[in-house]
Parts: sequence; C-alpha cells; structure tokens
Amino acid sequence: MTQAPVLKVENLQTRFKSVQRGKFVHAVDDVSIELYPGEIVGLVGESGCGKSTLGRTIVGLEKASSGRVLLDGVDLSALSGAALRDSRRALQYVFQDPYSSLNDRQTVGEAIDEALVIAGTRTLEERDRRTKELLDQVGLASAVRDRHTRELSGGQRQRVAIARSLAVNPRVLICDEPVSALDLSIRAQVMNLFLRLQKDLGVACLFIAHDLALVRQAASRVYVMYLGRIVEHGPSQELYDRPSHPYSQMLLASAPEVDPRIEKHRRGPLMIGEVPSPTNPPSGCRFRTRCPLAVDDCAKAMPPSHGLSPGHSAACIFAADLHRGKRSALLHQEASAA
Amino acid sequence: MNMLNPILARLKKMPRAALITIGLFVALGTFAPWLAPQDPSAQNLLEAGLGPMAAHWLGTDHLGRDTFSRLIIAANTSLVSVGSVLGIAMTIGIVLGTIAGYHRGWVDDLLMRIVDVGLSVPSLIISLAVIGIVGPGYWTMVLALALAWWPMSGRISRAVAVSIMSKPHIEALRVLGASPWRIYFGHLLPGTIGSVMVYATADAGTAALAVATLSFLGLGIQPPTPEWGQMLVDALPYLESDPRQVLLPGLALTAAVIGFNTLGESIALNRIPKPLTRRMLAARRLEVASWDKENSDA
Repeated sequence: MTQAPVLKVENLQTRFKSVQRGKFVHAVDDVSIELYPGEIVGLVGESGCGKSTLGRTIVGLEKASSGRVLLDGVDLSALSGAALRDSRRALQYVFQDPYSSLNDRQTVGEAIDEALVIAGTRTLEERDRRTKELLDQVGLASAVRDRHTRELSGGQRQRVAIARSLAVNPRVLICDEPVSALDLSIRAQVMNLFLRLQKDLGVACLFIAHDLALVRQAASRVYVMYLGRIVEHGPSQELYDRPSHPYSQMLLASAPEVDPRIEKHRRGPLMIGEVPSPTNPPSGCRFRTRCPLAVDDCAKAMPPSHGLSPGHSAACIFAADLHRGKRSALLHQEASAA
Repeated sequence: MNMLNPILARLKKMPRAALITIGLFVALGTFAPWLAPQDPSAQNLLEAGLGPMAAHWLGTDHLGRDTFSRLIIAANTSLVSVGSVLGIAMTIGIVLGTIAGYHRGWVDDLLMRIVDVGLSVPSLIISLAVIGIVGPGYWTMVLALALAWWPMSGRISRAVAVSIMSKPHIEALRVLGASPWRIYFGHLLPGTIGSVMVYATADAGTAALAVATLSFLGLGIQPPTPEWGQMLVDALPYLESDPRQVLLPGLALTAAVIGFNTLGESIALNRIPKPLTRRMLAARRLEVASWDKENSDA
C-alpha cells in the first residue's frame, strides 16, 4: 500500500433536514475512507446505516454538508460546473435496481452510445467500435444493441448498466448492492463477470452490500458502518476471523450459515433492539444502546479508533481486548441471557 | 400490416363507441371543407326553418342555411380551436412544469404558486376577463382559454417531471457527467411530453365545451363562422316551435365532449401510473364540474 489512494474521503458528513423542525438526520457522520488502485473494498452494515448515502455522496448525488472527496489527489468540492462533471466522471456508480437505472425509451445501443458521447467520444466509428467492445466485455451478444432495455431480463440490464458505467473509463466504481435485486442463479454470473472486469480493467471498487459472504469473497478490505459512522475496518480475512468491534462481531454472527449442521449450533438471538434514530443518535459510542459490553464510559465520548494490527482498527474502548479474544460481545450476550 | 398490429391491439382496448365518435369528429373536422355538401353560409330565406328533406338532409336553420353543412364545418372550427387552445396551454404548462420539476427549490415554489393562483381563479372568469379587455374574436378566445388552461397542464407536467427526475436513470446520467441540457432536452422533456399528451386527450372534451360556451355567450367565435355553441344560441328563439334546430348542434357537442372524456380517461388509465392518474382525473372532473356550474350561473 505504498501507492497513493485513488479515492480518499475525508471526514465526510451528509445530513438531511428532518421532519422535526430544526433537526437533522445525520445519515453519514465524519466518515473517512481510502481506496487504492485496483482493489475491491467492502462496505457493510445494516439497512439504514448510511451505506448507500455514503456512496451517493461520494459520487455527488447527495450534497455533503462537510468533508472532502479527493480523487487522485484532486479535491472535488473545490470544482463546479463542467470541470466538476469532467473530473467526477472517473467515479462511477452501479445502481442496485437495474430496472429503473436504464431509460426504458432507449435501446441498449443508445444508452451506451449516450455515455460515450457524454465522455467526449466524438466520431461515430469510434463510438460504434467501443459499444461493440463494451457489450462483448459484459458478455452480451451484439444483437442486443437494437433491443429496448425494457425487453431485457434483470441480469442483462445490470450488464448493460455496468457496460454504460465502464464506457466513461472510470477509475473508481461504487457498486450499491449491484446483484441483490437479481435472481440467485443470475447473481453468481453477474458477480463473476464483475470480478473479472474489475481485475482486467484495474478499477478500484467500493462494494456496498449487506450480503456478508459476498463481500468476504470479493473484497480485500472491509469497512463496517453503523448509524452513519465507520466502526471498524481492516483486511477482510482478519476482520472476518477476528472482528474487534462488538457490532462487527454481532453482525457477522447473525449471518446464517449454509451448512445446516453449523447453522443448528449457531448462537442466537443476537442483535437486540432497533437501530436508534439518526436524528437523535446516542451520546458517545453510537452502538452503546445495543451493546452487551457497554459501560458508563461509552456514553461520555465517541471512542477513538484503536489501531490493532496494520490496516485494522476499531472504534471501541475494548477493541484491544476484543481483538486478542479476551472479551467477546457474543459470549457476554449469552451469559447475560442465561 | 405487421407495423399496424400494435396500434390495432391498443385501439381494441379502448371504448369502441368513444373511439368511433372521436374518429368521426376528427375525420369530419379535418376534411370538412370538402365534405360539406353545401355552402354553410349561403342564406335562402324562402327555405328557412325547413325540416329534413332530400335537398337538406338535416333541414335548414332560421336563415335557410343547410344545417348538415353547418354542423360539419362547425366540427372543423371546434377541432381547430380546441387544438390551438390545448397546443398553446400544453406548451406553456410543459415548459414551466418541467423547469419547476427540474430545478425544484425556490424556482419550483415560485412557479407552483403562480400555478396555484391560476388554478384558484375559475377558468371562465379568466377567459371572460381577457376577452373583456381585448374584445371578442377567434384568436382572442383561443388565447383567453389557453391562458385559463395552462395552470392545469403546468401542475400535471410538474408532477410528471418530478417523478422522472427522481428515477435512477436520471441519476445515472448525472453520475456519467451529462450536462443539464442533455438531461433536460434528451430525457426529461420527451418523457414529460409523452405522459402529458395523454391528459390532453382527456382535456379536449372540456376545451370543446369551453369554446362552445364562450361562443354561446357571443364572446368566442363570431358569426357567420359556424360553431356549435353559436348555432345553439341562434336556434334558441325557435326552441318551442322547432326543437330540431337546438337539438342537432346540442347532440353533436354532447357526443364530442362525452367521447373525448371517455377516450381520454381510458387512455390515461392505461398509460400512466395509477395513483397519479386518479388524482389528476379527480382534479379534472372538478374542473369540468365547475364549468357546468359557471355556465348555469352565467
């Protein structure tokens, strides 16, 4: 990791006006992440924790209320108008729902061609050649070109959407649960295609998902998000083996196992209670209201991020203990339940 | 023939009677000058007020003009004026509605408050005010009605534009770095026009009624141009002695209005997302009802 990060997000904050007057929903609060060229980084967390908002803020679909997004060292918040559009084009977004992310009035060819025109490919021959190439890359027959997008299946549509985002030669791809709207059988195909393309093209990718197994398979590093904040991040192998934040431990443990013999002995029920309202987040550590290990100190201040091993850190006052296995949120939970 | 199949399949889903009525109306209106058997303005006082016969299929009016020819030419008058009113109103409405839907924020607030003002004043009153200032005449009437009509189409266009703008495919374009012009002209405008045109069909009946109303009051189409509303008012003195003269233009107008309403609603219900259509149609029915009410007051 001696390379410079291709995408650097610094202290990003996104808030929305709440229905309650004068209050704000802190969807993303003080988040810093880094992406290095060519790597896949997972972003996991419960629904509503701000994963998608983080992704949308990075590509500019939501307005950041503070913080910076640096792409190849260029601060995007300092740019505006056409300059911003041109720079931000290197950041692309793959939407969760392939049914609404394509215009039904367009044919596949038109959708990809439009992306090429936007990216500044002027000549017709060049665009024609690139369209063929892109369709080939995502494994679609060139006969699909003249079909309307509404005639295609979900898997095909997601392939077209991927081809369209690749048309502008992105450096970073933000994928917001790109396969979760697809059938299980199609999911693996599209996922494999995606991994192959990512490897071939060397695009860095922020992979937003709640499918933990998928992230483990795909990502080299993982960020765990809870209620608008990153609570833990680290290399995926280590994070999955030794989760060091009580929330990560419980999140990982709540994923069902494929093997019924293991599933039978799985510890549960794990996650208790509801996610607190992001309008009125708990003081100090945000997870303390649901954390079995919570002590009085947790309410006083947001625990700083403790470095545990190279590239692995967790924002919990017990992080070191949890990492060394001296404590476990799960065992504690069971003990108090018994 | 293969190219026609989807169109025919779509036509089959519509109410047949309304389709035939409107088809007839549009055909007669378009080819009226060639279809009318006699000069609609040629007077012959010796033949005044005659019933149906071989020379005059539907009889003559109080000045001896051929009623059948006048009804056909009136269809043309009605078609052209309704088309112009809706054309102008839809253009203004779509332009302002899409701008509001694209920009949101204060632009949206400002434009929609203007629309609210327009909607809060009954359209007949606006039309009467404009005609009162400019003076009666064909194009004055068209402009007056268009001015009264656009807030409705502005409201609809804005609703459609907002729903299009929030779709991920527009967001995808923004992420691709498409210019605002491309998003507006390439995606938002065509999408909005497509949906709003559907409402234009449903509005045509009300517009036809409005044209007839103003002409009936002597504020719209001026004699000697044949027009249904004006034919009604011409025939009114003979209501008791010869009801045929009143009934024929009345029936023609009624058929056109009901035809447009039925056809428009069936198209709208098939084409547009349900909840939106329900709200819009309910609002439109209120509009139609208010016309009736204003007319009985007038």
